[in-house]
Amino acid sequence: MQSEKWSLTQEAFNGLLDSLAPNRDIAAERYLEIRKKLVRLFEWRGCSTPEEYADEAVNRCAKKIGEGEEIRDVATYCIGIARMLLHEMARERVREGRFLDEVPEPHTVPTEPGSDPEHGVECLRRCLGELSPGNRDLILNYYQGDKGEKIKTRKGLTELFGVPASTLRMRALRLRQRLQLCAEQCVQQHATIAL
Amino acid sequence: MSGSQSDMRSEPIDEMLLIKYLLGDLSEEEQVRVEDRAFADADYRGALEAVEADLIDAYVRGELLPAERHGFERRFLISPQRRKKVAFARDLARVAAEAKAAESASSIRLSAWQALLRLVRGWNPVLQFAAGLAVLIFVVGSSLLAIQGVAMRSRVAVLETQRHDLQARTEGLQRQLGEEQARAGSLAAQLQQQQKAGGAPVPLVASLVLLPGLSRAESRREQLVLNPSAQIAHIEIQLEPGDNYPRFRAELRTLRGEEVLIRGSLPRRRATAGYSVSFDVPASALAEGQYELALKGLLNDQSLQDVGYYYFSVQKQ
Repeated sequence: MQSEKWSLTQEAFNGLLDSLAPNRDIAAERYLEIRKKLVRLFEWRGCSTPEEYADEAVNRCAKKIGEGEEIRDVATYCIGIARMLLHEMARERVREGRFLDEVPEPHTVPTEPGSDPEHGVECLRRCLGELSPGNRDLILNYYQGDKGEKIKTRKGLTELFGVPASTLRMRALRLRQRLQLCAEQCVQQHATIAL
Repeated sequence: MSGSQSDMRSEPIDEMLLIKYLLGDLSEEEQVRVEDRAFADADYRGALEAVEADLIDAYVRGELLPAERHGFERRFLISPQRRKKVAFARDLARVAAEAKAAESASSIRLSAWQALLRLVRGWNPVLQFAAGLAVLIFVVGSSLLAIQGVAMRSRVAVLETQRHDLQARTEGLQRQLGEEQARAGSLAAQLQQQQKAGGAPVPLVASLVLLPGLSRAESRREQLVLNPSAQIAHIEIQLEPGDNYPRFRAELRTLRGEEVLIRGSLPRRRATAGYSVSFDVPASALAEGQYELALKGLLNDQSLQDVGYYYFSVQKQ
């Protein structure tokens, strides 16, 4: 990413919040929602530092507002800036030959060096134990098996729960996200205690 | 806007399209369409996240085709957030497999136990005791073997994934080395050519002049050609004699309506014939495609009046 010399000031941030909503709490909620969308956008597009790029997009938008630009829809404008950043990112990769970003990093060591991957599994088991038996069975069955087996299992589960496939899919996804968060927090706590 | 959003919502969800999007196999226009719908429709965004979870699971189970695996590694293994998702998926697959194995082992043990009980009920007490002991030894032994088998399969799966990763990384580094060598060779050749040609500098600024009465008609498209070295696009709009405003405002957007930039308070300058308004745009802000430039006159009371709409396309060399 090209380094922007301009950095977000409190005044510019206040201007951004003012343009989102007159009420500060609502404005803060909208800001977080926009930032979340931007992070997802950069993540979907395979960016190596999605959070950094999302902040850069927000900063550029705040700068424009600070300069007196009239922006009717801040969210759409930020997404427009994000797409410009994606173009910049792609061009920079080609121009400067930064192919290193495209080289996959070994994911066998996803956590900090020195941490034990077994802790992740232990934490996951612990978090699964905290779920209700129904939810535990759902997530273990929903994400179990290979391609063909999975389709069959999921069909059986929709019949068992008597809900549409899309509803069950969203329920399983939310459980999965909850479980991942719990396991990550557990690993982090483990690392803190070890220190 | 709300009409088009509700149209989007009623469209069925094409999961193959979402997989292609996540693997980076769609054109820029198609990617933008998927993202716009995902931002406007929470159900669609949920479907995209669910497809992403299934794709990650398929990767850790080694179910992806080589091309898909390659696309996945380029897009998923470079951000910490996604690496965490991959690590979690691996743990979940392992725990789910263990749970399934434990469940089937327990059901096998239960049915074998019931059959033996029925058989043994007809025997005398000594035989019943001996058979009970034998069954107990068999059950304990087979349970231990089943647990060891599950652990062994998990280790094999982990080792297999590690081997794939190392292979992918080696291939990636080799590819990078080849690309760097090719790039170095091409730069050297370019330098030589430039030296032979007398070192003519490559232009860093690309210019576009929009004439009154021509570009304002949508049927007529000017073209801005950006070569790879262009850093800035200089856009000049020639004014008609009646365009007599103290200041101007230029709004540049794509034909899809996405704002690219807005320049306010632009002065009018004397040109060879009449007056013109000009401004610079970073070349990086302009992707290939069609653009609309709205020029507005800014009056002293800060009100705006439309001067004209200009259309042009950007082409990259």
